[in-house]
Amino acid sequence: MNYSELTLHYFQTAPGAGVLAGPDVCRGSAGARAQGAWVQFDLQLGGGSIRAARFLAFGCPHTIAVSAWVAEHAAGRDIGAGLPESVAALSERFAVPIEKRGRLLLIEDAWFAALGACQTGS
Amino acid sequence: MNRPVYLDYAATTPVDPRVAAAMAQCLTLEGEFGNPASSSHSFGDAAASLVERSRAQVAQSIGALPEDVVWTSGATEANNLAIFGVAEYYRDYGRHIVTARTEHKAVLDPCRELERRGWRVTYLAPAQGGVIHADQVAAALEADTVLVSIMHVNNEIGVIQDIAAIAAICAKHGGARMHVDAAQGAGKCAIDFNRFGADLMSLSAHKVYGPKGVGALVFRRGRGSPVHLTPLHFGGGQEQGLRAGTVATHQVVGMGLAFALAEAQRAADAERIAILQERLWRGLSSLGGTWRNGDAKRSVPHLLNVSFEGVEGESLLAAVRPDLAVSTGSACTSALEEPSYVLRALGRDDVLSESSLRFGLGRFTTELDIDTAIQVVTRAVSRLRRISGA
Repeated sequence: MNYSELTLHYFQTAPGAGVLAGPDVCRGSAGARAQGAWVQFDLQLGGGSIRAARFLAFGCPHTIAVSAWVAEHAAGRDIGAGLPESVAALSERFAVPIEKRGRLLLIEDAWFAALGACQTGS
Repeated sequence: MNRPVYLDYAATTPVDPRVAAAMAQCLTLEGEFGNPASSSHSFGDAAASLVERSRAQVAQSIGALPEDVVWTSGATEANNLAIFGVAEYYRDYGRHIVTARTEHKAVLDPCRELERRGWRVTYLAPAQGGVIHADQVAAALEADTVLVSIMHVNNEIGVIQDIAAIAAICAKHGGARMHVDAAQGAGKCAIDFNRFGADLMSLSAHKVYGPKGVGALVFRRGRGSPVHLTPLHFGGGQEQGLRAGTVATHQVVGMGLAFALAEAQRAADAERIAILQERLWRGLSSLGGTWRNGDAKRSVPHLLNVSFEGVEGESLLAAVRPDLAVSTGSACTSALEEPSYVLRALGRDDVLSESSLRFGLGRFTTELDIDTAIQVVTRAVSRLRRISGA
């Protein structure tokens, strides 16, 4: 499979891979390794916005690259906001083939799961 | 820019320079470019002589007679000729075929096509380690079985099947002809067509440092219980009417020499490659969470198939691809592809089936290649495991 330069860059460097710890961190995940894709986001909050984000991802290069990009662009966003970019825009930015668009929805689900955890305080 | 380390010899091999030189001699005006069927002049005679010498080289390397060898475009065509040829010729005797789930698609797809045309096919599931036991074949035979097709060496996991034992079962049955796809085993394992007792055997040149586009079907003719085939091609009567079309002198010369060289170097190559394979496995297994696919005690040294826990297959291949040319059972590269059916048949789950790499070692593989491969895979797997939190 051919990947865009941006996809390869974020796949190979994976900035923001890892976890955060602390009372101001909330976590959410989606997917399952047994089904081929799983994504987790840790969001560190402060003053109603996201101060830092980390991710873990088991999946194809597009899954890892887009998760890394989302984590990198999360800082400073309002906790009520969605992904830093819509699924459609991410799909275009990373040239994600149509059969893999479901992976982007999974990333969105993990993102909202993390935000949901922030809002419920879990 | 450095080229990646090539460890995909099970997919294809580079042509040996000696083979390439011999082939080139058959192409130009100064060489033996004649049509081997042109018996009216010396150009044709010279080409025909080379074709027959090549036939003898291939036959000798596998313990067959020259007249048993029919040239084809490769093992896929040889498999098709064997399967459709036997099925059609013996259609009034029976319409049942036995094969295995772990066969190459070049056997499975013709079998599926025959099913579509009304034949019945039994697909045997491999026992532990990928082995098909003779008693499984015996149990699957029916009164009207006309063909059993079992590969010699599996192309994904390298497991060697006991062809002689399976052929003996077929011989006892009487009506079941035994076909062997030997594309992966030829030139790497000792093959004695007569001792095997098989009726038909498919060969490929490009797995043995010969050219792509040529192979052979070897089958027992004119002695014992000869096998008959209905041809697939018509139009010139070449190859005793079994494979019409001008014989490509340069291709068969390449195959003949490649097989002769492979036989001459087989023992030395196998010994050296076995050491490299062991070095590769030791290096990879030190990662932990690694699974060797296939029965190691019954495998060729040229092939090593390993699954890696905690990594996704497509990402693993993408991570090693800049430095390493290997193949994978992975496949979430498109919606149409599936995890390796061979590894699934061995009982591996989808995730482990997808996270496998097949390393094919060959004549030109060096210790440095192996050490580079270990380093590249270790780095990739460790990084992907960190990213996935595994």
